[in-house]
Formats: sequence, C-alpha cells, structure tokens
Amino acid sequence: MAMKTVVAALLCSMFAAGVANAAMVTNKDGESAILVIVEGESRIEVVVDSGATEMICPSGCFVTAPSGDHIGLQGDETIEIVNGSVVVK
Amino acid sequence: MHSAAKLTVLSIAISFVVLTLAGGGTATAQQAAQPQHAAPATPAAAQPPQPSPEGQPAQPAPAARGEADNAPADASPLLQQAEDQLDQADQELKRLADRVGAAADDDTLLAELKVQVDELSKQIISASVATRSRLDEIKARLAELGDPPGEGQPPEAAIVTEERKRLLAERGAINALTGRAENLSVEARKLANGITATRRALFSNTLLKRTEVSVAMLSEAITTTADESRALWRSVSSWLTFAWNYKRIPFLTAIFLSLCGAMIFLVGGYRLFSPFILQHEEQDEPTYFRQLSLAFWSTLIPTMALIAFAASSYFFLSSFNVLRPDIAPIIAVTLGMGVAVFFVTRLASAVLSPARSSWRLVRVSDRGARMLMVPIFAMVLVNGLDYLLGSISDSLGSPVLLTVAKSFLASIIIGLILMAMAWIRPTLRQDEPFDAPGRPWPRVISVSLLLLGAGLIAIALAGYVGLARFIATQIIVTGAILVTMYIGILTGRSVSKQGAFAETVGGRYLERRFKLEQVGLDQIGLVAGLGIYALVALFFIPLILLQWGFQIADIESWVYRFVTEIRIGTITISLVGLLAGVLFFAIGFVLTRWVQRWIDGNVMARSRVDAGVRNSIRTGIGYIGVGLAGLIGLSAAGIDLSSLALVAGALSLGVGFGLQNIVSNFVSGLILLVERPFKVGDWIVSGTTEGFVRRISVRATEIETFQHQSIMMPNSLLINASVGNWTHRNKLGRSEISVTLSYASDPRRVIDVLHEIAAAHPMVLKNPAPNVGFTAFGDERMTFELRIYVADVLTAGNVRNDIRVSIYERFRDEEIGAPFPVKVEDTTPEEATPSDIEIPAAEEEKAEIQPEESETRRRSFGTRSSRR
Repeated sequence: MAMKTVVAALLCSMFAAGVANAAMVTNKDGESAILVIVEGESRIEVVVDSGATEMICPSGCFVTAPSGDHIGLQGDETIEIVNGSVVVK
Repeated sequence: MHSAAKLTVLSIAISFVVLTLAGGGTATAQQAAQPQHAAPATPAAAQPPQPSPEGQPAQPAPAARGEADNAPADASPLLQQAEDQLDQADQELKRLADRVGAAADDDTLLAELKVQVDELSKQIISASVATRSRLDEIKARLAELGDPPGEGQPPEAAIVTEERKRLLAERGAINALTGRAENLSVEARKLANGITATRRALFSNTLLKRTEVSVAMLSEAITTTADESRALWRSVSSWLTFAWNYKRIPFLTAIFLSLCGAMIFLVGGYRLFSPFILQHEEQDEPTYFRQLSLAFWSTLIPTMALIAFAASSYFFLSSFNVLRPDIAPIIAVTLGMGVAVFFVTRLASAVLSPARSSWRLVRVSDRGARMLMVPIFAMVLVNGLDYLLGSISDSLGSPVLLTVAKSFLASIIIGLILMAMAWIRPTLRQDEPFDAPGRPWPRVISVSLLLLGAGLIAIALAGYVGLARFIATQIIVTGAILVTMYIGILTGRSVSKQGAFAETVGGRYLERRFKLEQVGLDQIGLVAGLGIYALVALFFIPLILLQWGFQIADIESWVYRFVTEIRIGTITISLVGLLAGVLFFAIGFVLTRWVQRWIDGNVMARSRVDAGVRNSIRTGIGYIGVGLAGLIGLSAAGIDLSSLALVAGALSLGVGFGLQNIVSNFVSGLILLVERPFKVGDWIVSGTTEGFVRRISVRATEIETFQHQSIMMPNSLLINASVGNWTHRNKLGRSEISVTLSYASDPRRVIDVLHEIAAAHPMVLKNPAPNVGFTAFGDERMTFELRIYVADVLTAGNVRNDIRVSIYERFRDEEIGAPFPVKVEDTTPEEATPSDIEIPAAEEEKAEIQPEESETRRRSFGTRSSRR
C-alpha cells in the first residue's frame, strides 16, 4: 500500500517536472514552416503550422530555420519563427 | 472467368502502385527542392556554401576560419572561442570513443563514460548557443541595411555594400560553425546511444547479472518513463503530422495497399481452404483429424494475412519514403509484436476453442477454456509489450535502467499470472460433459505453476532481472512452440491411425487417382504420419534451441557432426555414410533386378535357351549383383573391407562349428544351379518327398507335393542323397496298369484285347510300343500288366484312367471276366479241421500262418498300386 502511494506520488511529480523542460516554437508567419531538427542521432522534419506552437527538443538540439540559419538550442528556450527566420526570446 | 477477374484486379493494383510511386516521387522531389526554395531566402551574397547536413564536419571549417579572419575585430574572439571549444570537444569525443571501444564488457565503466559523453554533447550545444547572440545582431543589422538595390534603382553607398558583404560573410561563418557543432553533437549522440545499446545487450545477454532493485531505482525509472513517453509522443506525432501534411497520398496508399494485400491473403486463403474449414464447421461430431486440420488452418490463414499486412505495410511505407529513420524500427517492432501476439492468441483459441466444445483439442471444461484464454492472452501481451517498449527505448536511446525496470515489471506480472493460473479448474473426468464445473489441475501442474510463478517473482526481486525476463519469455515462446509441436505430433498420430488417412482429402484423392486399396492407403498413412513426426522434429527442435540462445552455426555443426560422425568409444559411425551405403545397395539391387530381367526377357528368351539354364543364369546374376551391391554399399558406408577379413576369419571358425550346415546348403545351391540335376517345374523324388520343384534358392529348394504342401528341402540333401527326376531329359514316361483275371479267361485273348485298347488311345505312344506282360500266376488269378509309354509323364494319370475304363467296358462286353479280384468262395475243405488235433503245435502254427500269408498276398495283388 505504501509502495503504491510512493509510486503515485513519484509519477505525479515526474509529470509535473517533466513538462516544463522543452523548447517552445511558435510560428508567427502566415504559412507553415518546416524546421529540420537534429536531436540525438536522427534528423527529423517538424512542421509548425501558421500560428501554432510546438514543443521540441527537451534535451538540446540544433535547428535549421527556413531561412537556412543553423542555431543551437539548449532545450529551455522559447522561439518564434518570423519571416522564415528563427528568433530566440 | 475467374482468371480474367483476377487479371483485372491485378492490373488495377499494379497501375495504382505505379501511380502512387510516381506521386511519392514527386513528393520526394518537392522535398528535395525545399532547401533550394529556402536558399534564396538567405541573401544571395552569402559566400560560404551552406554546410551540407550530413558529414564533412571539418571541411567548411577552414573556409569559415578564413572568413572569420576577415571579419570585424569585435566578432572574431567570440567565433574563435567557439571554434576552440569545438576543437577541444572533437578531441575529447575521439578519446571517449576509444575508451568505449576498450571497455565493451565493463558495465560500470560504460555507465561513467555515458555520463561524460552526455556532458560533452551539452558542451557542444552550449558552444554553439554562445554564437546565437552574434547571429541575432547580424540579422538585426542586415535588416537595418535593407535589401541591396535591384536593377534600375540608384546604387547605394559603397560603405553600405561593404558592410552588408562583411555581415553576410560573418553570418555564413557562424552557420558553418553551428553546422560543425551539429555534426559533432550527432556523433556524440551516436556514441552515447552506442554505449546504451552495448549496456542493454550486456543486460539481455548476461543472464546472471544482478541489478540493484530499489525504490530509488524505480522512481528514476518512472522519471525516465515519463521522459521517454513524451519523446515517443513527440516523435510519433511529428512524424504523423509531417506524413499527413506532406506525404498524405503515399501514406494512405501504403496503408490501403497493405490492407488490400491482407484481404487478398485472407479471402484467397479462405477460398482455397474452405473445403477444410467450412465443411467441417457444419459437423457436430468431427473426427480428431478434422479438428486438428481446422485448428491448423484457422490459425494459419489469419496469421498469414496479418503477416502479409505487416510486411506489406512496412514495405510500402518504406518504399514510398514515408518512414523516418527514428520511426522505422518502432513501426517494425510494433507490427512484429502485433503478429506474434495475434498468432499465440489465435493458436490458444484454436486449441482451447472456448465457444465450441466439440472442436476443442484438449479435454477441458467450457468455463476452464474461457478462463485459460485470459491468462494466456495476458502473458503474451505483457511479454510482447516488454519487447516492444524495449525496442522503443532502443530507438529513442533511453537509458538502460528503463529496460531493466520494464523487464522487472513484466517478469513480476507474468509470475503473478502464472500463479493465478494454478487456481483455474479446467480439467474434466472422462465421463463428465464439457459444461461441467471442472476440477482443479492435477497436483503436479498446479504446484509447478505456483513454483514457477513464485520463482520468477523471487528471481526478479533478487535483482536477476535479466534471468527473470529470459525465463518469462521462454515460458511463453517455448510453451507456444511446444503446443504447436504437440498438435503436429497429434496430427501425425491421427494420420497414421488405421483407416484415418483414407478419410483425409489427400487420401481420398489418392484413392481416386491411383485406385488404391484400403491397405495401401493405410501404409501411406503410416508413412505420412512418420513424415509429420520427422518434420515436426526437424522444424521445432532447432526453433527451441534458437530460442534458448544457441546460434544457427552451433546447431548446424551439431547436426553435421551427428550426421557425419557419431563416436562410440573408438568406433565412428557416420549416418550419412550408412545412408549412402543403403542407397548404393538399393541402386545396385534395382540395377541387378533390371539386368536380370533384361537378360532373361530379351537375350535368353530370343536365343531359346533352355528354361533351366535361364533360371540358373538369372539366379547367378542375382547373387553376383546383390553381392557386388553389398560390397559397394559396405565400402560406401565407410566400413573398411579389410576389416571384413577379420569377420571372415571369425566366420570360418563359425563354419567349422555351427554354420557348417548353412554354408554347405549354400554351396550345394550353387552346385545345383551349375549342375542342374533338376530345374523349376521338374517332378522329382527324393527319399519320401515327391513333388514339383517350385524354387531353387540359396539354402533350400521348395518342392510342392501333389497335395500342394510346400516342402523346403535343404540343398545339401538334394546333393548328397539320390534324387529321382521324372522329367530330367524328357517327359517321356512309362506307365503300368495291372489286370487280374480268374483262370477262366483266355490269356491270349486278354493280351490281344489289352493291346488293342492301348493302341486305340491317342495319347499312348506307338514307339516305344505298348506291351503286355503275363506277370504272375496267383492262387486264384492270373496277373497281366499293360505297359504304355506317354509323351508327357504328367498326363499319365489321365491316360491310365481312360484305359482302365476301356478295359472294364471291353471285358464286360466281351464277357472275358472281371479284370479285378472278385470275392472268391473259399473252397478250402472244412474237413481239415479235425486233423488239427493230430498236428503238432509247431505244425499248427505253420498252417495258421500259411492261409494268412496267402491272404495277405492276395490282398496285396488286389490293392496293388498301379498309379504309374
């Protein structure tokens, strides 16, 4: 019984702690943007619709913006896409 | 009609695939074009080329450095610093990679190295993050400067052009630097994931490795689970969004096509095998073989359809470029697990058949069957999920801890399920109906289930999670394989049962096609049953061994060794050699038979060789051929012929004692073949045995008597004793008929009549001519003997019959007298009796004997055998 409580408590705390830790990308442009994200071993394309907000790379990554600029992210930033270019707040 | 429809469907499917591939091709082309669209967005003057995303980390760097040297003095130190950090990180990474390579077996060291690599990749990112502010400044300044003037616009000031150029160059340098950092970070990640994979492999492959199971470890596992599930959700959702937005048509087509493939398999399978399934379902009292075949097909067809669906969906998704490298393994494992879970569940439901008790393969109650399905399904699901999550962790590069924790949980759940299974009451007595409440398991099963479950939990709790997981997996997978094997063996047994094969479809076909008898079908059924046993053993035993971690190469080498050399002490037996020996012997035997038949039928029959010679030659060829085949077979079997000398020595000793008879019979047989005192079909007499020779074989000769009794006469007897042969050179034979007449008849007349009768018969030879002899004066009668010669001694009996009949008729007609002993009135005077008194005892004895003797003689005349 005690075990169960511990597990439940841990579970809750983990979820609470885990959610905060990721970069938020918001697309301010009129059209959806494709970001190429290099995270871990894989290179994945993430579509951010116009006005949408996505959570990306919780543990640091590199992002290639539609403008062609490469930037490094630590994983706790808030980012906006303006005119195809990435702006870190 | 059917084939036309199938062709249409096929052509539609093909055109669909072609169209979709073309669509996918354009989609890829668009994708490839996207960076080019993006490129003009960057100012055209950006001198350093964009670093290509993959590889070449070092190449752009010197160029970037060269540009950086030209860059303004305030930008240079920042870039230079980042550059130095990256160089340092690069060297560190190489060093770590070397250490990882050296410490492949040391789990603790690997864990430490993993921490260092993670730290390094953070450093790499932070090095590039440091350049971000400068990039922002440049972008802001470039925005202030505005776009360069287009065609026809007034030229801007030279200083503005110069500054723009400078800024763009610096921007390019920063991008190149970040690109290099990106590549380094990917390498670091690869190394980190490689370490994790090695550690996971260490965990799975080392059964007896103890892991500390504690609350702290579990809580950490829960944290990582949360992280992993978020990472998984993000990967999958970003992939799905991307696929939906940009590759919708290939994505949907892939799913549609794979569904089509599954449908084709499913419908085709059911249509093809509907005679096995539908017809059976109607029956209430199916035979065991039909139950088995229904279980088999109803498991196989849907599983094949699902496999087709899984394989084709993976194939189409990957060939339409919809899959992404991080998603592909997850999809593959998910599909594989789905197939495995489905197969085991389907198999269990085929065996238990919870809904229809008459189709149940094992004798359990209705309720027991339903209850058993639950834990089986649960165990398979838990084990499957364990593997699925394990490979998701693998592809996401999650910590090893998570794999351990999941396996721990899975082992405990499976242990609990096993223990719960012990309380199910499925068994039935022979006389109970299926809807009876059921009885508990036999003690052995319930106790072993409890022990197994408890042991599994105990092992997991003790920290040997790897072992617990292995056992749990083995219980499920080996159990499924064993159940399948058991069904296979049951199938073999029921096929080889008397009369069962004739009931099957194959049996009925054979009966129709080759008009086989019941006995033949039974024999085929026996062979088929044995074949099924062999197949089951051949297929499933390696499967179980593979499950237990043996490699295919191991099994191959075992089989090879088993087949080529079995050592018993100093003797080496080679199964292949023995088999080859048997095969060569069989070939030699068949060849011998063929040569025998050919020589007998073609060569000797045409050259009109005597039947006896033919038989001898044929038998001789048979002996020689079989002997040669035996020798070839022996040497092919790897038995050294020189070692036969020893055997021959032993045999010769044996010949001296016990085998003497057999050898002498054998040699006598050979002599009989060469000398040919008689041949098959001859009528011979040897001692008391008389009859036709039916067969001359190695040891004995088969003689069939006139009563059709077969007598095996040892050849040595036929050689050593005198043998009479009625048909040796020719079949000419003499036959006698004795005729007794009273003294009232005229002897000359009798002789003439007998001559006439003999001459009148068509089968009596004129040369040598028949003759009549007056052979004896009997007490009361004269004895005549008619001697006739017939061409074929075998017909003598009939001829004699005819002649006797003629004699009787002629004598009666001509009133010559009866040609046979008639009861003669005893004319011995009665007055002799009184003189008995005077006769002395010895005399009296003589007198008594005399009439008796004469009586006997007379009787012997009368009953004289006149067969010949």
